[in-house]
Amino acid sequence: MNRLSYIGARLVKTVLITIAVVLLSFFLVRLAPGDTATVMAGQGGFADEAFMKSLRAEYGLDQPVLVQLWKYISAVAGGDLGNSFVRRQPVLDVILERLPNTLLLNAFALLVAVAGGVLMGMAAARRPGSTTDASMTVLSMIFYAMPQFWLGMMAMLVFSVWLGWLPPFGLETMGADYTGLARLGDIAVHMILPGVTLALYFMASYARLTRTAMIEVADQDFVKTARAKGIGEGQVARRHILRNALVPLITFAGLQSAILVGGSVLVENVFSWPGVGTLAYEAVTTRDNPLLLGIFIVTAVLVSLFNLVTDIAYSIADPRVEQGR
Amino acid sequence: MKDFLRVFFSRPIPLVGLVIFAVIVALALLAPLLFGRGPFIIVGMPLLPPGAPGLLAGSDVLGRDMAVGLAYGARISLLVGITSTLCAVGIGVLLGAVAGYYGGWLDDLLMRVTEFFQIIPSFVLLMVLVAFLQPSLSSTVIGIALVTWPQVARVVRGEFLSLRGREFVQAARTLGMRDARIIFTQVLPNALPPIIVVGSMMVGSAILTESALSFLGLGDPNLLSWGSMIGGSRSAMWVAWWTTVLPGLAIMITVLALNFIGDGLNDALNPRRRR
Amino acid sequence: MEPLIAIKDLIVSLPPGADRAHAVDGVSLSILPNEILCIVGESGSGKSLTAHAIMRLLPRGVSASSGEILFEGTDVLRLSPSAMRKLRGAGVAMIFQDPMAALNPVVTIGKQITEQIRAHRAISEKAALEQAAGLLAEMGLKDPKALLKSFPHQLSGGQRQRVMIAMALSLSPKLLIADEPTTALDVTTQAQILKLIKRIQTERQMSVLFITHDFGVVADMADRVAVMRHGRVVEEGGASDVLGDPKHSYTRALIAAVPRGESMLQPVAQDAPLLSVKDLAKNFRRGGFFSGASAVKAVDRVSLTLSRGETLGIVGESGSGKSTLARCVIRLLDPDAGEMLFDGADIAHMGERQLRPLRRRIQMVFQDPFSSLNPRQTVGEIVIAGPRAYGEDMKEARSRAADILRLVGLNPETMHRFPHEFSGGQRQRIGLARALMLKPDILIADEPVSALDVTVQAQVLKLLDDVRQQMNLAMLFITHDMRVAAQVCHRVMVMRHGQVVESGPTREVFAAPSSEYTRSLLAAIPGRGKLASV
Repeated sequence: MNRLSYIGARLVKTVLITIAVVLLSFFLVRLAPGDTATVMAGQGGFADEAFMKSLRAEYGLDQPVLVQLWKYISAVAGGDLGNSFVRRQPVLDVILERLPNTLLLNAFALLVAVAGGVLMGMAAARRPGSTTDASMTVLSMIFYAMPQFWLGMMAMLVFSVWLGWLPPFGLETMGADYTGLARLGDIAVHMILPGVTLALYFMASYARLTRTAMIEVADQDFVKTARAKGIGEGQVARRHILRNALVPLITFAGLQSAILVGGSVLVENVFSWPGVGTLAYEAVTTRDNPLLLGIFIVTAVLVSLFNLVTDIAYSIADPRVEQGR
Repeated sequence: MKDFLRVFFSRPIPLVGLVIFAVIVALALLAPLLFGRGPFIIVGMPLLPPGAPGLLAGSDVLGRDMAVGLAYGARISLLVGITSTLCAVGIGVLLGAVAGYYGGWLDDLLMRVTEFFQIIPSFVLLMVLVAFLQPSLSSTVIGIALVTWPQVARVVRGEFLSLRGREFVQAARTLGMRDARIIFTQVLPNALPPIIVVGSMMVGSAILTESALSFLGLGDPNLLSWGSMIGGSRSAMWVAWWTTVLPGLAIMITVLALNFIGDGLNDALNPRRRR
Repeated sequence: MEPLIAIKDLIVSLPPGADRAHAVDGVSLSILPNEILCIVGESGSGKSLTAHAIMRLLPRGVSASSGEILFEGTDVLRLSPSAMRKLRGAGVAMIFQDPMAALNPVVTIGKQITEQIRAHRAISEKAALEQAAGLLAEMGLKDPKALLKSFPHQLSGGQRQRVMIAMALSLSPKLLIADEPTTALDVTTQAQILKLIKRIQTERQMSVLFITHDFGVVADMADRVAVMRHGRVVEEGGASDVLGDPKHSYTRALIAAVPRGESMLQPVAQDAPLLSVKDLAKNFRRGGFFSGASAVKAVDRVSLTLSRGETLGIVGESGSGKSTLARCVIRLLDPDAGEMLFDGADIAHMGERQLRPLRRRIQMVFQDPFSSLNPRQTVGEIVIAGPRAYGEDMKEARSRAADILRLVGLNPETMHRFPHEFSGGQRQRIGLARALMLKPDILIADEPVSALDVTVQAQVLKLLDDVRQQMNLAMLFITHDMRVAAQVCHRVMVMRHGQVVESGPTREVFAAPSSEYTRSLLAAIPGRGKLASV
């Protein structure tokens, strides 16, 4: 199995996951009490039997399930995720408008988490059992135990309310109308609190994983070989230990991205970051089910695409994929 | 068992975890006896600070006793954490064991399903589930169990798969033991330690998930939980820090205690540490 | 002559809580220029830690607490880290037991060799690669240029060890430490690697410290021998002296325990066979979806017969299909084709329900003494599990278990203990007792002694043979070791790539092998004909 066929298999997997997400969504709609027609009618404040019937006919709800499923799949494939009840706009348009903000925040958080986590993990793994190592273990346990939204609120309380160092809300300063670099700088300052809050949890998992991987790899025979060759400790750590320890970290980044998106919903809400996460909250409070479902589909597809990217990166980092792992 | 207890208590961390957890469980169980009137009763002025007369933890935006809320909140957190984990572990062990031991198409299917759950953003799915089912205690528990059982199934399946290949299990087959007997006497006892460790960690993360759902207004509207206390006090955070800080600390301490216990279990059940 | 390296009163301490304080307990040894010193000993003798101490590569928590190791007059143990780094690879180089584990899986072979050269010499990557290619060619590897670009997993075991040796020699060290370098390899590959090490030692006039557990290898390699036990050197001297006239009783016992590779057993009179296997085949599917599935013929139309009272040896290197064959016979695997007549019934394709009453009559002893016993059950529970599965009364089973444990040389009072309280050899006895409890007709032994030290190995082999005689068993003995096969098998069958290459009475096969492959297997037996009968 060479690298290309490995990537091919992963591509197929991504497509299959996307199909599964759409299928799942179709059945999730059926989970809600009452069908779309009752909900629509309820929204209109008007429900007579004939009107309901015409609504059902209009939305194809009177047709067999398989026909409805087929229609649903073709609609989703064509980018039609339905209309938002509340906004009366196509769901996809509403989401795409907010998506760049969420991507920006998540990319920043991922970067901070990976860089910080790997550095912390390396420091802890240098001498297992040392004070650095022990305090890092305790610290990451504490981060694991904190609700992420609460961590955000505490950060806001300290850095915005008490110290006044950082802006507590939003993407940029309202009404300041910065342009160019000044605007970018303004957004960057606004991104620090939500970005770092979102990153901290993953930084903790990354630090732990890096530590475990480094310690595990450091016990392998080839590290002994490297030392027996008379290579400096720095090169042993970089080329032999870290290089091998990074391989599982790549896959991990892909898997973590799903959890990152979940965290993003909460953190965006705390900091009123105008992204998909706050949109999800709005959808919940206004009972805008098509919008909520649309958010699930879009984020799921994005995460599986990101996993495809990490899978490809993994196949480059680990030559052993040929063996069909 | 003796070895297990010796290792478990050989470090302070699991012991601390166990003591804290016992206190929280006691508080949750005794809440109706201590504060019989329930958490929704208004007892005084809103936003009184902790230490105000009769108010150990202050009052919230509506003038309700925060201390009572915290005690009742523990009931919800523990109830959701434990029941959803039990459901998830039940489903996960059953499916994981069958898939890992027998392999074949069932195993393939299970692996695809667990991969699917690993890749989709499960918190967003959970929001959809709970919103569509209507927020309630049972939809929270069902939702959490539905998105977390694949984790357990993966672990169990991996253990069963590797144990199935071990020579002592093969020996049991050559001795003519029936499958059920092999699974229960040979494989399961050896697969239990990781299941217990994963389970203990899952209780903590289920508590966190429940608090996030209630924070977003997706909790049971008839019950007061730590997450909904924080969510309800967001506007007051700027003037009354205790309304958000205290319930958050309660969540953190509970989850931390559970993770400490899990850490101790991990050590004590790890055969490499026992010799 | 001045020794190249002199170890004086070396003590290597284990971390507190280990089963003893010192792993190496006052060892003094020296190696002259241009000689091969073999340190031989069983597991736990401290031979490997002695070698690692020279390189200062002891595992975490283990340290050389006193003594000195003089390399050309300088004490290695007191060198600064940077001076030590300069010595490693350039002055002293080392190769290890498992070349797959010893090579970095994600770095190319070329890079791994050049990084050593360039850590010590200021030359360009290109020049270093040239040099590496030359070294690989010297090791007898074909197409060195292509090899430099490949990754370890793309090479065979023998190729990997050659790469390791090439790397070790890249800076022309004065001393090469080889720590069990052939233990993980097949016997024919082992012979080639031993020959290679001998050849380069002569050509380059270097010293070699060779660590091994195998007196056969010692006979092939050593100029001088040191025998270690429990952290001490019990005997040391020239190879011919130690091998020909061992002074210490432990050395004598070790040498006596080495199977000689000469068959001593007469074939037994053939009754009607108890088991006859005809054209048995088993394929494994590999790959998937994109690369297209390919079937590997693990067992390819194999036929054999087995009668009461005889031992049939199935010999082959890794990948020969010998273990798959055994697992088909005991129906842990389902054969794809062929028949297996056992007492008149074809058990090859029998359903589990019909098979169950027959299962107790074919039993197995497994290879790995550590994974073949359930760690959470007591010895008693393990041994009576079989009879209990067939509904035997608990009391009855327990009293029989005591008898059987006595038969395999264990104290029945140990029944309440757990497997981890026993040594490897004792565990194999427990495994045998478990099998014998069902009073089988056929006993399959799958590499039952390959994980054991040589003295324990001899005891277990003797036990198996005694039991076979006493209970009139038919035994199928799977092994990779021709010497072991010679010792216990009446007939042997040599397998390669899933097929039978040759079969016949052991004496005849060993005396006059009819196939080229069997001849090469026999020729590869280390130390053949060089060990005295003590």
